[in-house]
Amino acid sequence: MQDNPWFEKGEEMTAATKGVVDLPDTIPVNRQPRNWRKAGIIVAFCAIPVTILVVFTYFPFASMVGYSFFRMKYIGPREWVGLQNYIDVFSRPGTLSSLKLSLYYMVGAILQVVVALYLSTVLAFKVRGGNVFKAIYFFPYLINGIAVGFIFKFFFTRGFVFDTVLQWCGFQLNQLPYWLRDQAINNWSLVGASIWRYLGQTVILFIGSIMSIDQSLYEAAEIDGANKFQQFLHIILPGIKTILVLNIILSITGSLSAFEGPYVITSGANGTATLFVLMDRLAHVNQKVGLASAMAIVLLLIILVFAILQQVFFKFVFRDAGDGVAEARKKAKRMQRQRNRVAVKRTSVFRNGSRIGKERSVK
Amino acid sequence: MKALQKVAAMAISAVCVVSMAACGGTGSSSKATSLTYPSIKLGDTGKDITASIKLFSNRTDMTQASYSGKNWKAYIADFNKMYPNIKVTIETSTNYDSDALTRIQSKDWGDIMLIPAVDSTELSNYFIPYGTYSAMNKVVNFAAVQQYDNTVYGVSGGGDAGGVVYNKAIFKEAGITKLPKTPSQFIADLKLIKEKTSATPLYTNYAAGWTMGAWDAYIGGNATGNADYMTSILPHTKDPFSNPHDGTHAYNVYKILYDAVADKLTEDDYSTTDWEGSKSQMNQGKIATMVLGSWAVQQIQAAGDHADDIGYMPFPISIKGKQYAAPGGGYAYGINKNSSSDNQEAAMIFVKWLTEKSKFAYNEGGLPVAKSEKKLPALFSEFNDVTFLEGKPVSKDESDLFNDLNTDSELAINSGGASRVQAIVEAAATKSKAFNEIMNEWNDKWNAALKTENVDIKYTTVQK
Repeated sequence: MQDNPWFEKGEEMTAATKGVVDLPDTIPVNRQPRNWRKAGIIVAFCAIPVTILVVFTYFPFASMVGYSFFRMKYIGPREWVGLQNYIDVFSRPGTLSSLKLSLYYMVGAILQVVVALYLSTVLAFKVRGGNVFKAIYFFPYLINGIAVGFIFKFFFTRGFVFDTVLQWCGFQLNQLPYWLRDQAINNWSLVGASIWRYLGQTVILFIGSIMSIDQSLYEAAEIDGANKFQQFLHIILPGIKTILVLNIILSITGSLSAFEGPYVITSGANGTATLFVLMDRLAHVNQKVGLASAMAIVLLLIILVFAILQQVFFKFVFRDAGDGVAEARKKAKRMQRQRNRVAVKRTSVFRNGSRIGKERSVK
Repeated sequence: MKALQKVAAMAISAVCVVSMAACGGTGSSSKATSLTYPSIKLGDTGKDITASIKLFSNRTDMTQASYSGKNWKAYIADFNKMYPNIKVTIETSTNYDSDALTRIQSKDWGDIMLIPAVDSTELSNYFIPYGTYSAMNKVVNFAAVQQYDNTVYGVSGGGDAGGVVYNKAIFKEAGITKLPKTPSQFIADLKLIKEKTSATPLYTNYAAGWTMGAWDAYIGGNATGNADYMTSILPHTKDPFSNPHDGTHAYNVYKILYDAVADKLTEDDYSTTDWEGSKSQMNQGKIATMVLGSWAVQQIQAAGDHADDIGYMPFPISIKGKQYAAPGGGYAYGINKNSSSDNQEAAMIFVKWLTEKSKFAYNEGGLPVAKSEKKLPALFSEFNDVTFLEGKPVSKDESDLFNDLNTDSELAINSGGASRVQAIVEAAATKSKAFNEIMNEWNDKWNAALKTENVDIKYTTVQK
């Protein structure tokens, strides 16, 4: 126990607190800062989730990285091809162009965040039937993605749900487009389905963070004469900054890896095959496991780059936001330094001792 | 510190125990049975075996009590009359091929499975042999389906002859008295149906995907009259999708689909077709034809009250005036190499019973597998003038050539290449590509694969 590095630290800390509380020396310092039984319980509880994570996520991921260097089927011999699979990912026609489809989903993602922000702002205040609406918005998220796919398959079928509703609104069936057949709009149809499904999740996250904003801020703002929009802009938006960034990152990376919708509703046919669907097809139909693994890793890197870019971007956008404490502290420090410098300059070198002593006295 | 080590050690050992348990049951792999399929005498061999075996199958519908035909439970009850000590459990999957490929690697998937897309060189790593090809060929049809180096690893569950499902009532209503024998006759008949009835002439089942891949089944024997076209000629053919100008080969099979869509003889909105619904629509006379294997007939007949209207006709392609059917073996039962020898014997007995005594193939509308059974299901009544072809086993050196070409070219012929056939429908409907353009794209991919695999090219469909 004696050479435990934490031990020293523990002692140091008790020494520091000693000064404040002024503990008498007779009270013995806690010589065993670690409770091993407690630590054991923590480790035991962590062991299960960590094992599951390692066995079912990191281990398969590591083997996938390995696969990406082979020309292989699921079973049978493998042939080491080095980086050839990665070269193929970038040189084959159709692979990277399928990433363009993600642009549809990104536009949808932004729309989703904006709509969710609006709805959650409204719902965060006292609205009649607010909880019912919350439940309604959140409900689609609880449905299994495959089931959502089947719902929308029927929803978009010619003359079925969507067309019928539009006909009630006065449209004629022959004026309406074929939602999934027409290649100009079928991706938008799929994006619509995806927004329907994930909107609720975004709304709930937003409501949660809006609720955590101090109510007195609104009262103060109202007394100052701020209208609702100004309150939104200067209180809510900065207050939910973290969740907003998180939501945008989730939806953008989600749109890069869009899969369930195109896989179930159109099975990736008719120009709706996103990179993920293509990857599934290569791996499971064509059994080009190595190439599909390489594609997965390239996609992972793209998503990482996007996530980092977004972080940087939002840091820039929200550089003035926050509650102002950090900024004020910084400013105060800067002013203090300035004052010091001025004070030092003004003091004469010979009067009242040394220059250093003067400086110290200003501090 | 020591306590931490203890906990860590315990955690690690727990993980090890769990993972060991997952690999359990494989210890008995060393002792394989020496029983062969032809030597089994049902009701006599293996009477003393007590075992519990598991079959992994694609027939999810047959697990349900509401299944219109004979369900698994009834088959197993019949089997247990003969072998009361062999307990059979059935596990099914709707995403069978993909699931089977994943599970097969675990070694602990059960005792019998329908062999998924496994290269024939790999068969012996997963399945036990039933016997030699020459011995098996005397007792079962389609013995060549899953064989390698003259050894058979799979017994087919039921043969399938490539034809077209059609609604007799609609054909009558449209005034068609003679079934079409060539692509042009077929298209003409579809036009007649569109003109004279309210039914959809040809339902593509585009959205389901696999139903589109079914078109691949006709480019072999049906379109060439050669039983070994897919195994020994196609892998040596350059430009196999070019027009041979005699109304045969792959070109003219897919051309039927392209023309039907381009002439608006298919359903209005192909992107939202519904396979389950199409069965009852066809039964009720809203759909005239569907290009599917003979297995589909039984299901469509069961989907409504008009079972008698549903018929099966030979595929409308004639080679020198003659129509052919190339019965495919379909999925074949393979027996797990890693099961205990008792289970392997029980499994082989069950497979033989399914093949010879259960009438499984007949009940499901398939061609008989047991050589002893001559009776064709009633649905093949239109096949009297059709020559049934029988394929020879592939030679050892070339056994995986077709699979390799299929993977390299990404055409996935006969193995889930649905997106490729769906592209024909898209191109025909939107007029974005001419038919020849599509075929040339496929040719390019196939030719590139031939080059990758260093195949010596012996044939071409391009006319000189």
